[in-house]
Formats: sequence, structure tokens, C-alpha cells
Amino acid sequence: MADVRLPFPRVAAPARPRRFPGWVLVLPPVAALGVVFLHPLALVLWQSVSPDGGGHSFAAYGEVFAQAAFRDALRNTVLIAAGATAGSLALGFALALVIAFVPLPGGKALARFIDVFLSFPSFLITLALLFVYGTAGIANGLWTGTTGAAAGPFDFLHTPWGVLLAEITYFTPFVMRPLLAAFAQIDPAQLDVAASLGARVPRIVRQVILPEALPSLAAGGSLVLVMCLNEFGIVLFTGAKGVTTLPVLVYGKAILDGDYTGACVVAVVDIALSLALYGLYRTLTHRLDGARRARA
Amino acid sequence: MTTGIRFDGVSVAYGGDVVLDSLDLTVEPGEVMALLGPSGSGKTTALRAVAGFVRPVSGRVFIGDRDVTDLPPHRRGVGMVVQQYALFPHMRVDANVAFGLKARRAPKDGIAARVAEALEMTGMSAYARRYPRELSGGQQQRVAIARALAVRPGVLLLDEPLSALDARLRSDMLAELARLHRDLPDVSMLYVTHDQMEALTLADRIALMDRSRLQDCGTPQDLYRRPRTEFTASFVGTANLLPVTVTGDGVRFAGAVLDVPAGTAAPGAPATLCVRPHAIGLGEGPNALRGKVTEAQWRGATHRLCVDVAGHRVTADVGEPHGTPPLGTEVTLHFAARDAVLLPAAAAGAGGGAAHG
Amino acid sequence: MLVHSRRARRAVHAVFLALFLPVFALPFLVVAAASLATRWSGILPAGVTLDHYRAATGGDAIDALTTSLLTALAASALALVTGTWAALAAKGSRARRVVGLLFMLPVAVPSVVVGLSLLVAFSRPPLLLNGTSTIVVLAHAVLVTSFAHQAVSAALDRLDPAYEQAAASLGAGPVRVLLRVRLPLLLPSLSAAAGLCFALSMGELSATIMLYPPDWVPLPVKVFAATDRGALFSGAALAVVLMVTTFLVLLAVSRIRTRAVHR
Repeated sequence: MADVRLPFPRVAAPARPRRFPGWVLVLPPVAALGVVFLHPLALVLWQSVSPDGGGHSFAAYGEVFAQAAFRDALRNTVLIAAGATAGSLALGFALALVIAFVPLPGGKALARFIDVFLSFPSFLITLALLFVYGTAGIANGLWTGTTGAAAGPFDFLHTPWGVLLAEITYFTPFVMRPLLAAFAQIDPAQLDVAASLGARVPRIVRQVILPEALPSLAAGGSLVLVMCLNEFGIVLFTGAKGVTTLPVLVYGKAILDGDYTGACVVAVVDIALSLALYGLYRTLTHRLDGARRARA
Repeated sequence: MTTGIRFDGVSVAYGGDVVLDSLDLTVEPGEVMALLGPSGSGKTTALRAVAGFVRPVSGRVFIGDRDVTDLPPHRRGVGMVVQQYALFPHMRVDANVAFGLKARRAPKDGIAARVAEALEMTGMSAYARRYPRELSGGQQQRVAIARALAVRPGVLLLDEPLSALDARLRSDMLAELARLHRDLPDVSMLYVTHDQMEALTLADRIALMDRSRLQDCGTPQDLYRRPRTEFTASFVGTANLLPVTVTGDGVRFAGAVLDVPAGTAAPGAPATLCVRPHAIGLGEGPNALRGKVTEAQWRGATHRLCVDVAGHRVTADVGEPHGTPPLGTEVTLHFAARDAVLLPAAAAGAGGGAAHG
Repeated sequence: MLVHSRRARRAVHAVFLALFLPVFALPFLVVAAASLATRWSGILPAGVTLDHYRAATGGDAIDALTTSLLTALAASALALVTGTWAALAAKGSRARRVVGLLFMLPVAVPSVVVGLSLLVAFSRPPLLLNGTSTIVVLAHAVLVTSFAHQAVSAALDRLDPAYEQAAASLGAGPVRVLLRVRLPLLLPSLSAAAGLCFALSMGELSATIMLYPPDWVPLPVKVFAATDRGALFSGAALAVVLMVTTFLVLLAVSRIRTRAVHR
């Protein structure tokens, strides 16, 4: 076959060999992260095995583990996080269900409101609760006003229950957002068909909606669990001396006591706990992605 | 400026899957070559190998006499139009069309004229200041074509450009593309499609792809009238493919001897007889086939009859003016010897031997 | 629609509002109302005053607001550049998973610990940053980078490669494709990420409280200091200033975004 061979117009530049492989471009941001995040984290680990006296030992760990305050904090952290996660999941599921499937006027605005809510700091919730349930707050004021008693019955803000209430309030939207996204994927015709086949609402929720929402529930739940474990502002604002969690203990040891090694030990335990849960979260979201891709 | 495309033993594999198997094909300068085939046949991969979006594991790709195999896409100087248009949504129509010119650092004062010219050519001059989302699908595709043509490429790659359009628009655009090809006789086009109508209408030659391989290549008339394989016969147009045995002076089908030129086929060999439905007439005639009507569809100008001939289904498009024969009626079909093509029998389901263009 | 009868729907909505309003709307209303009051021990606050706002918009408080705004701006910019860069560079490369994992880590590590680690790392030479505003900005940047990176890489995954390929086939090199096609198409996601980073940084308390020097006191710390010494009502006014500022910035960012989308 006779090609008409003419020099190619316009694009005359010869192929320039690439001077460096593509992954080199990844290095600057990773290096930045290394300097301000990974390296400091490693130093925390290092400091936790370097007592002030010099040398290296795990003595600080033994010391911290032996403290009742540490064990209390650990227990509080885990219990409050688990409780807040369970509460957020239940509340978030119910609320998202209504927004998605029993549309009410202004539902769109509600969804937007949730987005805004997510971007406000957590301690605002505690601040609000102080006005509602605090010793001189609305609820107690109402009680003393109507009964004439000297003090109201609501005095749980400084207990784990107060922290729990605040965390459920604050973290519920974090469950709702992925759920609303998952619900949007459900074809409304599916629900209509299920209803026309005679399924009642609880059955539809259980057999049609829940399976679809389960991955998002799992992912949202584990994210909230991690965030609850790490929550600091809410606990700090209750000013509850009785409720110490691991982050509060880190703050107390480092800033109030000046015991860096002890703070680092607690931090290492906290990081380990969070990372383990975070790994779980990643695994779940990965599965979720995989399942979604498999369906697509 | 004339530029062709040449595939020289090009193979592409993803992971371990060979999606294009040693393709040898030449698109002559100024020629419209359609790559026709079912989905997954490797036709789009071949096009993307020319554009530079896939890298062959072996073989070379030439544009003109330039080996472009190792060039990144932006140095290949092709124009490309894809199914989903891929117009830049944040740019107006004129900016979209000017994009390639700016990217190639065309002189500033020439850009406006070239943009106007390209939009003129595709009939989109009135829409220069619109955003793509303000245009219909057909208009967007015209802009995409204008954008590809503005850089005056020697080679235009079209990847299923009409499949996102509805049927009516598709035939309009097809006519439009044919006109563009007449206006730009020097531009070689590689046109990927799964639609035989598009390929038959537009292409100077059709390269037929199946299962990662080139199966056949020829002019549309050639492939339609003289298919060389069962795959070609069935994919380009519809065909009755009847299993026959070659005899001395014709072929034997279902006990009857048909008068068909047997060519070089050895007597006694199994073969496949290809007859187009529209070449079959109703009533007595040469090469008569008798059977019962099992299906009848009225299609306006014609009837499509499916006739069971000794257990084989024969489809005929007949212009019977006296109404549809009732199902179960015994009918006689016939066809002229020159309308039949004898093909080598397919080897156990394979698409037939490969032919080169 | 799940519930078809009108009465049932009303009942569901009533329950919904009964849960939603007290849990989500009440906190804002309460804080807003308290910021205007001097006493609150009944159903309504009492002693209406604007004094808290006068205090919250002058002197120390306005410094704290400026500090917060500057910190949030700087941290968001750093996070956005780093996160976007990492997402763009890792796209399509084998390093993608590792980079994704590294950039998600700051979410998993408690903010207090991030603060502690910076304190440990930068209280000694060669980088003595303890007691400077830089260390606060760095902490915020670390904490919000994950969100920036995640938003941008999700948007990149959704970006149809056809645009980049069309651009490349028209002769645009990698830099031009990045500047003229990819970044403009990512603009809505980038601005959303910027808004989120900004808001998170505005409200950051956990790491800040470990690190802030006396001359760089962001607003959340100020709110805490006020409530800690029992000045709940002026704390509420500061919190309202914080919320309103954050909300206004978010609104402005979403305006930019809508314009980018509808262009």
C-alpha cells in the first residue's frame, strides 16, 4: 500500500523522554505531612519510652497503667464512645428514614442544615446543654419555679450521662449524612412494589431499606466511634471532674501537670485504640466501595 | 496535507487480557475507515492506540510516516470526537473550539478566524457564545467535531460519535459527516462504530473486528455482496446462512441440489451458503426451497417471512402485495444464483479465518 | 414514599420534629438567646442586654476573632494546597493507596494527641516553634488536610477522564490540562473542601488548647475561658460571633461554588 508520506504538520517536537517518574510528584506533600505530622507522632512514641531521668524504658507505661485515673479514663472513653455511637446510630437512622422516605416540607433545607451543623464545633452543644440542664438552666429553673424546691433534679451534666447526651446530639448528623446518600440510591419504585405486594412499613424498612443502608450504617458508625473516642471539647466544656477520658488525661498530664512522658504514654494508648478502630472503619468503607462497584 | 494511519502488528493487553491481537491495518490518506464490530471486539482499543491513550505491548502505530507509538497523546496531532462529546463545561463554545489552537500555540490573530471557520463548517456559528449545557446533544456533537477540526488534523478519530443521539438526529449527523468528508478530502478518518448502517453509509472501507482481531476488511459493497466469512456475512447486513455440501455442479441443501457456483470448493466438502433475505423471492423460480411459514412480520414496504425449510429457518423479505400469508402455509421461495455466496464452513463456532486489508 | 396515609404521615412528622428540633435546633436557639441575657432560670432568659456583644466585638474578643480567621485562612490554604497536590499527584499512580492512607491518618489520631506531638516535636531545635502562631496554624492544617485530600480525591475519581483525554488529543500538555481543564472542573469540589476546612479550623479547640501562645488566642479558646470562669452568657455571645462568622464564610464560599457550577 502506497502511503503518501508527508512530514507531519505543526507538531514537530520530538518525543521528550520524561525526566522523572510520575510518583516523584507525590513526594513534596508527603514530605510536608511527614515533617508536621508523622515525625512528631514518632517523637511521641519515642518520648513515651524515654523517662525524664534519661535512658529508655517502659517504666512509664507500668506507672501509668497502675494509676486508677488512667483505668477510669480508659473505661469512660470506651463506654461513652460505645454508648454515643449506638445512640447516634439509632437516632440518625430514624431521622434519616423520615427525611428520605416520608418527605416533609422543608426537607431539603433540613438536609442543608445538617451539613452546616457538621461544620460547627462540638463544644457549642455542651454550652447549650449548660443553659438547658445546668444547675441554673431552663429545666431546673422550671422545676424550682413550679415546685418551690431549692434545687432542681437535673444534675447529670457533670456525669458521663451529660457527655453521652452531648455526644449523641453532636454526632448524629455524622451518621445521617452517609445514610441519606445511601437512601437516595434506593429506587422509590422498590418501596412501592414492596407495598403493593402487601409488605407493611416495618417489613419494608427491615427487608428493603435496612440491607441497603447497612454498609453506610457500619461505616458511619465506626467513623463516629473513632470521633467519640477522640472527642475533647465536649468533655472539657462540661467541666466534669468525674468524667475523664483519654484525651482529657493527655491534656491534663501535659498542660496541667507538665508530665510529658506520662502524657505521651496515654497518647500512645489512645492512638493505638483509635487506629485499631479506624482500621476497622477503612475496612468497612472499602467493602462498601467494593460492593457498590460490583453492583454498578 | 495528507496523512494516513498504519497499525503494524499492534497488540494491547490489560493485565493478562489481550484486547487487541496483532492488528495490521492501513488507513490511506483521505480515506474513511470504519472499525465495525460488536462491543468488546477491540475496535475502540485500536482507536485509543492511535490517540495514545493505550500503549501497545507490541507493534507500532504510524501516523503518516511518523512512528507515534511512544509519543504522549498531546504530541500526536490527531483530532478526536467521542461518544459523550467531552466538551469542557466551563468554557463557551468558541473557547472550546479555540482550545486546541491555543494548546498548539497558534498565532493569536489567526485563532478567531480558525474558530469561526470550524464553527461555520459544522453549522454552529450562531452558538459561539453559548455554554455546552445550553446546547442539545446534536449541537454538542457538532461543536465537538468543530473543536477537533479547528486544529486541522491530518487524522480524525471518531469513537461512536453518534450513539448518544436519537435515531432521527443520527441519520442527519451521518449525512453531515459525509458532507464534511467531501469538504475535507485530505483528512483520514478512523470511525469506530457498532452500527453497520453508519459504517456502510460513511466508510470507504470497513475493517471488521471481532474477539480482539481483525476479521475482514474491504469496501462496504465488497463486504456486503461478497462476504468471505460467516461472521462478515452475519454482521454486515442480515444473512441466511445455510449448511450445505458441495457437489460437482452446485451444492446440496436439505436434499435438494441448488445451482450455485461452487468456485474452488472441493466436492463433498461442507460449506455455508449465504443468501440475503431481500434476494429471496416468493413463488416458483430457480433454486426453489419449499417450507412452512412460521413467522410473518409486516414491515410496511416488505413482509419478513420466516420459513421452515427441512428444519432450517430461512428468512425472506418479500414485497408481497396481497397480504401476509397465514402461518403454516406451504410456500415456495427462490433466489438467483448470482445472489448467493458460498462460504467456507465455520470451524466450530469460530468467526472464520482472518483476512487482511 | 413509605407512609401513604395522611394521618400516619402527620404522626411520623410530629415524632420527627419532636426529636429533631430539641436535639438539633434547640442548641442554637438556646445559645443565641443566652447571648442576649444576663439571667436564665425560667422558661425564658431574663435581663435582656447587648453588653455581651459589645464585649464580644471589641478589644480582646475582636483580636480573638481576627486570630481565628487568620489561622483558619492560613490552615485551609495550606491544607488545600497539600491535599490537592497529593491527590493530583497520586491519581493513577501506584502510590495512590499509600498516599490516601497517610493523608487519612490525622482523622484517626486524636486532635489532642496531634497537639501534643507538635509540642513535643517543635519545642526543641532545629525548629523551635513552641509559643508561636505558626505552631497553631500547623496543627490546624494537619487536622483539616485529611478532609481537603479526601474531598479532592473523591472529586478526581468522579471526573470523567474523557475531558483530559479530549484536551490531550487537542495538543494540550500535562500542565495546560491541569490548569485549564482539571482544576477548573474541580473548582466546585475545591471550594466545598475549602469551606469545610475553614469551618473546622474556626471551631478547633482540642489541639489549639495544647498549643496556643498568649498572643495568639483563637475564639474557641476564648469561649472556653469565658465559660470556665463561669461567664456563660458572654461565652454564648462569643460562640454566636463564631457561628455567624463561620456561617457567613460558608455562605460566601457556596456562592462561589454555585457560580462555578452554573457557568
